[in-house]
Amino acid sequence: MLILPLIFCLTTSAASKATTVEPGLPDKALHFGEKMYREGLLPSGEAMQAYVNGDTPAPGTSFTCISCHLRSGLGSIEGGINTPPTTGKYLFEKPEPINLTKYRHFDPSRPVYTDASFAAMLRGGVDPAGRVLNYVMPRYHLHDDDMAILIRYLKRLSSTFSPGVTEQELHLATVITEPGNAEAEFYYRALQTLIAQKNNMVKSFGKEPRKTRMAEAMLMSREAAFKRIVVKKWVLTGPPDTWRAQLEQHYRKEPVFALIGGFSAGSWQPVHQFSEEHQIPCLLPVTDFPVISDNDWYTLYFSKGLFQEGAAAARYLLRETDGHDRGAVIQIVDDTVSAKALRDGFNSVWDNGGATAARTILLTPGTSLQVIFQQNKGATFVCWTGNHALAKLSEALLAGYGLRHIASYGYLGSTIYSLPPKARSSLFITYPYRLPHQEKNYDAYVNSVSSVLHPSTPQQVRLLKQAYAVYQVLSQALIDLKGSYYRDALLDVIGMNMAPGMGMGLVLDTTFPLYERFSFGPGQRYASKGCYIVQLTDEKNPGLINRSDWVIH
Amino acid sequence: MALRIIPILLTLVMTAGSFTHASASDVKYKRSIESYTMPDVTLINQDGKKVRFRDMMASNRLIAVDFIFGTCTTICPVLSAGYANLQQRLGPDLNKVHLVSISIDPENDTPKVMKEYLKRYRAKPGWDFLTGSRNDIDAVMKAFDAYIPNKMAHYPLTLIRSSQNGSWVRLFGLLSSSEFLAECRKAGL
Ligand code: HEC
Repeated sequence: MLILPLIFCLTTSAASKATTVEPGLPDKALHFGEKMYREGLLPSGEAMQAYVNGDTPAPGTSFTCISCHLRSGLGSIEGGINTPPTTGKYLFEKPEPINLTKYRHFDPSRPVYTDASFAAMLRGGVDPAGRVLNYVMPRYHLHDDDMAILIRYLKRLSSTFSPGVTEQELHLATVITEPGNAEAEFYYRALQTLIAQKNNMVKSFGKEPRKTRMAEAMLMSREAAFKRIVVKKWVLTGPPDTWRAQLEQHYRKEPVFALIGGFSAGSWQPVHQFSEEHQIPCLLPVTDFPVISDNDWYTLYFSKGLFQEGAAAARYLLRETDGHDRGAVIQIVDDTVSAKALRDGFNSVWDNGGATAARTILLTPGTSLQVIFQQNKGATFVCWTGNHALAKLSEALLAGYGLRHIASYGYLGSTIYSLPPKARSSLFITYPYRLPHQEKNYDAYVNSVSSVLHPSTPQQVRLLKQAYAVYQVLSQALIDLKGSYYRDALLDVIGMNMAPGMGMGLVLDTTFPLYERFSFGPGQRYASKGCYIVQLTDEKNPGLINRSDWVIH
Repeated sequence: MALRIIPILLTLVMTAGSFTHASASDVKYKRSIESYTMPDVTLINQDGKKVRFRDMMASNRLIAVDFIFGTCTTICPVLSAGYANLQQRLGPDLNKVHLVSISIDPENDTPKVMKEYLKRYRAKPGWDFLTGSRNDIDAVMKAFDAYIPNKMAHYPLTLIRSSQNGSWVRLFGLLSSSEFLAECRKAGL
């Protein structure tokens, strides 16, 4: 009963032709139009003036078109308010009924817009059929010149599909920066295994018409049910400053729709930059060093990596010592990018926390951790040192000079479990995952891959789970995309439908392995925002007990 | 695969009924008088300061409460423009009304995010944005009978606490700024 109507609305999928034209901004007018559409700023630099809810004036900068019609212009549904597309195709060409997401089907009965009727609508809120639009759609007071610039932009917005899509296939690539790195290889195989399982499903659907109809109805997307996903492997070699040229070369050869997964033991910056400049989504690369940015759009990360652990440490310390004499807080860092990321994260919180500045001491090969501890008795030591220094850390902890010590699980890894019981009581550890005893319940999520790949180390289990998360986000996004193969739309649907507590379909923020909560919201780029502060228990094979909530405000 | 199909069906059943197409005619708001018991939780404001929520809600200023999040689309901009505009209209009466926005995305809404959000709407003193642990936020939403388990249910809701008798006016839907001001007057402004 429920399935029938779905089948009907599924049969008219709009998107299937391939194209290689990329949206770009060949001229200044389009650039200005983009500023109006995305930022609510006129070419003059002033804010557009908007009237909301009939009589409420608001600067256009808080009422940008993208806050409702989204970056792709394909619209949204939120709080029962259905915002239609605002792309040229939909406004100025004969509107065809389109299915945008599983909840949104548009069949506009109004005549097509002309430039003049569009301007009248934007100013006065009446469409060409004479209908007064819902007053949630603001009225904008624009001069003719500015209006023309906006119209020009809308006519270009999401007008041609992004590259990498054919009738039967969706082309993606995984960027691996360490040729021969065993973890990278394992991760890539995990991803391939999941994708192959999906593609096998597609094959079996194709054979039986009855199954096909079921699949369409259940998955609510012909696209997810019928397109084969092809994942290319782009291996980058040599130093990071040569990666960009290699990426360009791969991209020329294989113009993919998006990057998924990806692995780097070091920097991700060059790939991030490449994605940003070519406007290619990159879903969830495995890296300790995500680029930290409030505005970048194209790369979605699992978390802020080590930076996030550093920030969590600072929040915890600020909260624990609120109202008390904080004493000296000293960060001890070794000369690595890991320690730098941890320190940057720590400082990003600490420096705005109203506490006295934290001192930083660089641990050079000749200096002894224990001597530093001894010279600064009674301080809180934040030790951003790696597992090469674990024995020294252990000795220094046992000597008992510090009031309290903090270290990073992300940097030290599972070697922390080898610390002797006496060294554990004053050590607090940032732990960016769900606690192990609860995580056990999530192991079954990856059964279908672990039964093929047999992970043998905790790292491999983690990589499997990360690959699983990539696959889940991708599958859900393809369902929600409903054949609208615009890269910005892919990111729009992830932002809308993976917002917290808003689980629709496959994905709930609390049902991802590895992370206590995993969600995006519109424009959000780091899925896991939490981190525990834990201590090791006294047992011979210690467990972890949390000393903080998942999110520390 | 079988495992994965079931939740899809379920969510469809749940959401299919709640979806309505908005149009100019059905945007009137619903109004009711309620009495709520505030949970004793500690939340964090945009300055990173701790706030005893129950104490805050017991002030003798007029209080308005809504539920938003920093990156939310469509209804949050409209609700927040309503708050901003009310502050503008209050003029010298600005400090007679305490506007409170409660985050429904506490993971992402850090003090920094909330402060920037308020700046974007040109908020004046007297408008606080609160975040906290997921449990505490849930407790607040439940206390207002506003628990929002999924996005389709994130409807615009504004609550106004009378400065005279402490009762709450529940306003369901989006208000124009004259309507909002009129509701505040009725509640004792
Ligand atoms: C606060 C949310 C919001 C903002 C901001 C917003 N819109 Fe809208 N817009 C809507 C809604 C909701 C509708 C549907 C109204 C209806 O159908 O009654 C709409 C309708 C439209 C339509 C009519 C589509 C049709 O099929 O007739 C166009 C065109 C449009 N908006 C363009 C824009 C542009 C351009 C901007 C920025 C300058 C903008 N909107 C900003 C929410 C918004």
